[in-house]
Amino acid sequence: MANRIHEIRDPIHGFIKLDSEERKVVNSRPFQRLRYIHQLAMTYLVYPGATHRRFEHSLGVMDAATRIYDVVTDPENIYHDCVRELIPRKNELEWGYWRRVLRMAALCHDVGHLPFSHAAEKELLPKGIRHEHLSKLHILGDHLKPLFAELKIQAEDVAKLAVGPKYYGSGLSVWESILYEMIGGNVFGADRIDYLLRDSFHSGVSYGRFDHMRLIETMRILPREDLESEEPELGITLGGLQTAESLLWARYFMYTQLYFHPVRRIYDIHLKEFLGEWLNEGQFSIKLEEHLGMTDNEVLAAVLQVAGDQSLRGHEQARRIVDRQHFRLLYESSPLDLVLNLKSVELVYEAARLEFGDGAVRHDPYESEGGSEDFPVYLRDGNIASSVKLSETLRQGPSFSVDYVFVDPESKEKAKMWLGENKVKILGA
Amino acid sequence: MNRLDRASLLVALTEKLRASGSWAGETHVQKATYILEKVLEVPAGFEFILYKHGPFSFDLRDEIGTLRTDGFFDWEVKSERYGPSLKAGPLSDALKQQFPTVPDKYASEIDFVASRLGHKNVAGLERLATAIYVTLNERTPADRRAARINELKRHVSLSEAETAVEEADKLINEAKAQFANVMTA
Repeated sequence: MANRIHEIRDPIHGFIKLDSEERKVVNSRPFQRLRYIHQLAMTYLVYPGATHRRFEHSLGVMDAATRIYDVVTDPENIYHDCVRELIPRKNELEWGYWRRVLRMAALCHDVGHLPFSHAAEKELLPKGIRHEHLSKLHILGDHLKPLFAELKIQAEDVAKLAVGPKYYGSGLSVWESILYEMIGGNVFGADRIDYLLRDSFHSGVSYGRFDHMRLIETMRILPREDLESEEPELGITLGGLQTAESLLWARYFMYTQLYFHPVRRIYDIHLKEFLGEWLNEGQFSIKLEEHLGMTDNEVLAAVLQVAGDQSLRGHEQARRIVDRQHFRLLYESSPLDLVLNLKSVELVYEAARLEFGDGAVRHDPYESEGGSEDFPVYLRDGNIASSVKLSETLRQGPSFSVDYVFVDPESKEKAKMWLGENKVKILGA
Repeated sequence: MNRLDRASLLVALTEKLRASGSWAGETHVQKATYILEKVLEVPAGFEFILYKHGPFSFDLRDEIGTLRTDGFFDWEVKSERYGPSLKAGPLSDALKQQFPTVPDKYASEIDFVASRLGHKNVAGLERLATAIYVTLNERTPADRRAARINELKRHVSLSEAETAVEEADKLINEAKAQFANVMTA
């Protein structure tokens, strides 16, 4: 059969193109499963439009990663010998090989996700296992590996770029590390570009937009001369600095408005507790065939069933989700209280538990991921400088964290009065 | 080690690096923490792999971001030429006051690392930390370790790698002599 080009219409990237061999990967069971995994868990209970799935996000990441690859490997965009030595020459076999590997890694980077994405990952998998480990197993497994062989690429290379050095288990070369950054990079990898734009589009939180086309056009592979090192990293030219700043702001707004919305966070907790009771042995299976058969659909069907039957495990949590009887926010981290006591949230949580009982109070500390916005910037005079040095916005840029204490709706008013009367004593001020 | 004790340790290490003349960028803190944890066995709880400029911890990267958000660290641009430095943030005094135990307990180890890394730039740190990583993980003769570094980091020449291996062996031996608990190499 001729290797035709197929187009998939996408609200973020226009038409996403792939050939017949690549389409076999899209049509595989591990990838089709992503049609039934919500990108933002139960966020749709707060933002009704946020019903999009990992399926279209993964296609978007493939498209964005491909654009990045084509820009940064264009000979006109390579300014340094140490970078030139690293990158395969455009249109040679090796260049095409890594382009294909990158596309498939971007496409498959999320195939290991549990139902409802991140909502319950840490607690409901065996210790030390994350969805990236399952993505790696699927990529090296019976459904996908033969398809990569047909594409004449090594499944191991796809796995490396899909999950990155932290989860692959052995070192990546400098070139492979840069390719991984194109997908999962902390500052402006394709994954981040797509999820911000897509989550913004579907949720209606329009602050999440930024000029991603301009950002990608300005990306370059640059040695960190500003750090006196020749080791190259993904950076941008000076012309892209403002759109990189706008990405940072987009991220800040999306986290504060959407990802950290307290009602969204408490639904994650209710769902996690439901799953802990409902699942056999309180955890998801990491057997691949069982993982393939477990999606949001199975979990939602169970939530509805269990909510209607008091005798079933997880009834209380299922009822809270179905009847919208979620816990309410009692207290959150505040800069003024932190000055008084750095453990203010833990202390309020412990005191509230003693006052209202274990079952009536929940604590939701969030540990942020992703480091600084420090990346190399190519200046008009040919020098390279740190983004943080050049941009006041990136240096002083907004940061965010949350640390919430929730209380059951029945105790809310009483708890608020109690906290008002006792907070100073609790914080030891 | 709990979250705030670890934060207090990282702030103390960064301040000591700065006092020893270090530019104290994120890479400096990464490599100094690596040596503190893997050579001097201070149990900060970070896992390192070979990645950006040598041994690198994604968890530490996230932790530094969190510490900035929490007000324990701040960025500072000290020089026209170099990238940004980390410095103690507005809540660091409260942290030091409320969580002094861990930095006090490991003061000698922090001094040891800061005195040996304070003068190094990123390229020098990259070579030394990579040599220590290879030494701790491969335990092969010096020439093979140097060849391995050259293979892993193409921009590090063989002669630079040989010097780095010598320096790594010296640092590890000094650590063994000074701290009884050091088990490495």
